[in-house]
Amino acid sequence: MIGFKREAVLEKVMSILSLADFLHSIPYFRALGSEEIKRTVKETLEHSFAKGEVLFLEGEPCRGLYIVKTGWIRIFKSSPEGREQVLLTAGEGTTFNDVPVFDGGPNPASASALEPSTVYIIPRETLLSLVADSPVARSIIELFAARLRHLTTVVEDLSFRSVVSRLAKMLLDLAVAEGGRSPIPRLTQDEMATIVGSVRDVVGRALKALEKTNAIKIEGQHILVTDPEKLKEMGK
Amino acid sequence: MAIPEVDLDICTGCGDCVEFCSPGIVGLVNDKATIVSPEDCNYCTDCETFCSLGAIRCPFEIILKTEIP
Repeated sequence: MIGFKREAVLEKVMSILSLADFLHSIPYFRALGSEEIKRTVKETLEHSFAKGEVLFLEGEPCRGLYIVKTGWIRIFKSSPEGREQVLLTAGEGTTFNDVPVFDGGPNPASASALEPSTVYIIPRETLLSLVADSPVARSIIELFAARLRHLTTVVEDLSFRSVVSRLAKMLLDLAVAEGGRSPIPRLTQDEMATIVGSVRDVVGRALKALEKTNAIKIEGQHILVTDPEKLKEMGK
Repeated sequence: MAIPEVDLDICTGCGDCVEFCSPGIVGLVNDKATIVSPEDCNYCTDCETFCSLGAIRCPFEIILKTEIP
C-alpha cells in the first residue's frame, strides 16, 4: 500500500517537473524564474479532447491561455451562415487564446481538436499576476492584444463579407453626426478601397448599389448615411 | 460646393483630366490642372479616375444624417 502511494507521489512529482520544463520551453515563460514557474505550474489545468471536440466558442468568456501539450487544435472564426475561416493551426508547444487574456474581452475565435489532443490552460489571473509588477508592460501588452483582436475582425470581414457589406460597415463605423466631433472623416474612393480590401471601381459601384437601397445618399462630396439601421443590416 | 483637389507638386500638366472631364470644368492653367468652372462640377470623380499620377483627389465626407431630408 505504501509502495503504491509512493509511486503515485513520484509520478505526480515527475509530472510537475516535466510541466515546469515544458512551460520553460514556451517563449512566453522562458524568462520566468523558478518561483514564478512553480506558481504557474500550481495553477495550470490539463484537459484532453477527442477529435472534433470543441474547446471553446467565440464570444464565450476567456478561461485563460491555452498551450497544446499534444495533438493539433484549429482556431477559427465562423460566419452566421456556417462558413469557417481558420486563423491558426496549433501544434505541440503553441499557445493560443492570448488576446482575451490580456485585453479582458471574450474569446475572439473558436477552437476545436483536429485529432485527440491535450492542452494546458493557464488561468487569466495567473498570467496577469506575472506582469503585475510592471504596469508599463501590462499596458503595452493590452494594446497589442486589442490590435490583434481588431486584426481578427479584419480577417473575418475579408473572408465572410461582400464588398458592399464591408463598405456598409465601414461607412457606419466612420460616419459622424452633423455638428458632431470633428474632423469629419474624408476619404477618396481609393482610400475606401484600401480599407475594405477592394479596388476603386468596385467601391464606386458598391456606393451606387448602397445609394439605390436608400441607406445612403451621395450629394457632391458628401456621403450621407440616411438610414443607419438599413446600413447596419447590410453590413452584417 | 466642394471641388476636386489638385496636388500641384504631383501634377505634370499631361492634360488627361482635361480630356476626360466634361468640357470647361477642368483646364490647364500655367501647365497645371485647375478646376476652371467649379460651379459646373458635379463631383463625378472622373478626373480622379483618369489622373494616372494620383494628382487629383476627390475625398468624400461621411456624415450621419440626423434628419431624413
